[in-house]
Amino acid sequence: MTTQALHLTTAISPTQPMAPYWAEIDEIEIEAPGVSTYWLRFINPALRDGYRFSPGQFNILTMPGIGESAISISSSPEDTQRVGHSIRFVGNVTNAISRLKVGDQIGVRGPFGTAWPMEIAAGQDIIIAAGGIGLPPLRSAIYPIINHRKNYGRVVVLYGARTPQDLQFTREYKQWEDAGIELMVTVDRADETWQGTVGVVPILFYRLRMDPHKSILMTCGPEIMIRFVVFEALARRITADRIYVSMERNMKCGLGSCGHCQVGPYFVCKDGPVFTYEQLQPYFNVEEL
Amino acid sequence: MPEIHLEMGTTVALPKSALAGLLENLKQMGCEVVGPQVKDNTIVYAPLSNVEDLPRGYVSEQSPGSYRLNYTGHGNYFDITPGPHSWKMLFFPSRSQMVAFRRSKDSQRWEIEPDTEPTPLYALFGVRPCELAAIQIQDNVFLRSDYKDPVYRKRRQSAFIITVNCLHPCGTCFCASMGTGPEAETGFDISLTELEDVFLVKTGSEAGRSVMSNLPWQPSRAFWIQTAQRELAAARQNMGRSLPNPEELPNILLNNLDHPQYDDVAKRCLSCANCTQVCPTCFCWDAQDLNDLSGSYVRRERVWDSCFNPEYSYVFGGNTRPNTRSRYRQWITHKLAGWYQQFGTSGCVGCGRCITWCPAGIDITAEAAALRQEVHS
Amino acid sequence: MSDQKEIINALQAISWFQELDPEHFNKLVSIAGLMNVEAGEELFREGDKEDCLYVVVEGRVALEIFIPGRGRIRIYTAEPMDIVGWSSITPVVRQRTASARAVLPSRLVCFNAANLFNLCNEDHDLGYVVMRHLSNVVASRLLTTRLQLLDMFAHPNNKEVPHA
Repeated sequence: MTTQALHLTTAISPTQPMAPYWAEIDEIEIEAPGVSTYWLRFINPALRDGYRFSPGQFNILTMPGIGESAISISSSPEDTQRVGHSIRFVGNVTNAISRLKVGDQIGVRGPFGTAWPMEIAAGQDIIIAAGGIGLPPLRSAIYPIINHRKNYGRVVVLYGARTPQDLQFTREYKQWEDAGIELMVTVDRADETWQGTVGVVPILFYRLRMDPHKSILMTCGPEIMIRFVVFEALARRITADRIYVSMERNMKCGLGSCGHCQVGPYFVCKDGPVFTYEQLQPYFNVEEL
Repeated sequence: MPEIHLEMGTTVALPKSALAGLLENLKQMGCEVVGPQVKDNTIVYAPLSNVEDLPRGYVSEQSPGSYRLNYTGHGNYFDITPGPHSWKMLFFPSRSQMVAFRRSKDSQRWEIEPDTEPTPLYALFGVRPCELAAIQIQDNVFLRSDYKDPVYRKRRQSAFIITVNCLHPCGTCFCASMGTGPEAETGFDISLTELEDVFLVKTGSEAGRSVMSNLPWQPSRAFWIQTAQRELAAARQNMGRSLPNPEELPNILLNNLDHPQYDDVAKRCLSCANCTQVCPTCFCWDAQDLNDLSGSYVRRERVWDSCFNPEYSYVFGGNTRPNTRSRYRQWITHKLAGWYQQFGTSGCVGCGRCITWCPAGIDITAEAAALRQEVHS
Repeated sequence: MSDQKEIINALQAISWFQELDPEHFNKLVSIAGLMNVEAGEELFREGDKEDCLYVVVEGRVALEIFIPGRGRIRIYTAEPMDIVGWSSITPVVRQRTASARAVLPSRLVCFNAANLFNLCNEDHDLGYVVMRHLSNVVASRLLTTRLQLLDMFAHPNNKEVPHA
């Protein structure tokens, strides 16, 4: 029986928004200790061909009987057929996912949330500042930049991790640099075999000369890192509306319904996860909000 | 049978004895009629078999942390004010199934089981205006252009609503301040105002009109209409509490998130989550996966959750709201401030349940007033 | 190009040297030296008596502390325009607190500590400018060290996880 290929562009059921679409694990890449990228292929052919997302958005992965987990999409939006999710194993659901193998089934709902400002960034210089597990959601923005390099000015990636072993996507750094991205990598601590920078991500700003009037900053990582990155950016006169931050909170639905992800008046799943700092400014530094 | 055609929007009078006929008509329509009843010394919402189940002759006295139901023997059915139950239990049940999964033995693959739950048809018999406002607020939460909750929608779209205007507000009521009462304006199928001898009836929909059509209504006498208006005006004045100028609160609360009042309320609040359970607009929920013993059937259920639950704001690495102070602040700023930005109205309807059912007697109107005070350091 | 000219060029590329008035700038140039080091070459070791303050012009210099059983741990890298060995001109700290080793082939301007100290004593205006800048260096080094101390990328302690 042939069916007319419905154009399915999202894995969100209009009648049962909490019901997942099924996908299969196509490949698992180990990125760092405790972090792997899971490439998923939708079983439904219309969805496999049609699923689209914007960089910065996330999917909710379902393990029936255990629960769900919101995971940022780390692959390029221009890759069709499969979607990559870099997962850090920290809880019940993610640890259950860590036990899956290629060919295993997993449920997907999404994509959800707001995206990195790829259109606004056209013609601008872009500073991407990421720390630790904050790099995957920005990686999905790095690929469109590489593929359309001429649309953007200078592109600088500042990335830091705890130790050299925790750096992610190291196999891709050369490709990024060859594509015209200035990459500055740092670690919190290292031994003598590390030839690179040692220090926290915010200090990479000290070595950066930039024009604040045409720079867009996109940052993701532990909130404390974001706080100091934003501090450095504001000190260099990048205005709050040109600073984009990806936030993380406890998410159960992805639909702006369960209430768990609220920060002040915002639902991080719906009004975020990508916010301008201008939006967050009244709330970001309020403790325990 | 009256000659005059029953018009929508006009007020007619129905003898009290005809209330049973109204209830019967609703049952004939196939509705499960749910209404207030006395149980365990409170008013609860439960299926009504007949009008004798209604709390005729009762009044309720409510104050912070205190609820008393007294039988005075008067003749009115609806002189009570709401108890701990709210109508959200029908449209947004405290436990409901979202998805069910079944795994076949051969393929070991999960499939989604089709949803076969029949749609209940409810008639809500005795909704107070504040509660109607709460239902409309939850409509904004669950039925949006970008997302329509299937469980809520099924139950809500066929529900028949009979509101009863309030002539006897109680000690914790403040619907007048919130603009949600004591009189219902729109959104009902039928609106009743209970006077001593009659019900004044206004129909708000075609369904309402048709349910009334075979009942012995008559045009309302001016005297009854004037009595109702006078008593509603008095009710408006006699609210137990007030929350003045609620539309100013978003600005005030969101710009004073470190107000010392939060330290004060944190000493009293038990983080027990009673307020969120009795509140007719609170909508936070949690997802729970329930497995059967065979490991091949899973039900993913939605259960009520509360921002006062410690696990509510857990993220890997810790809890973003690790204490009572931050949780109480979340609750009150969401209810009175953030809600405007999210859904266009206040989240509070002035029903006073959170005040009545708080074991520590915390009063949202008093807290809001304290939070308005300028801090002079 | 003479050493002097090279030193002048190197210092002029650094913003805070540019902000000095010409007299102060020249005084500093007069006590400055230029050195090139190979990758892996040591500048100084923990415990050495300090003698020089270095400004990195090109390359990268790592600060390391030796822990018995763990070896040398790199705690900081000084990149172009960073200062290494600022403790040499503070009166209290009398010896190097870490080892410094070039990671990449590097070019450094070095100031003999005793000379710099004397210069600051003779000319208090210059001394004030130098100390003010050094206090900035120390402050920002302290901040970054504190952030490193927070270990913000560490995996949290295993706790009972209620949900995902």
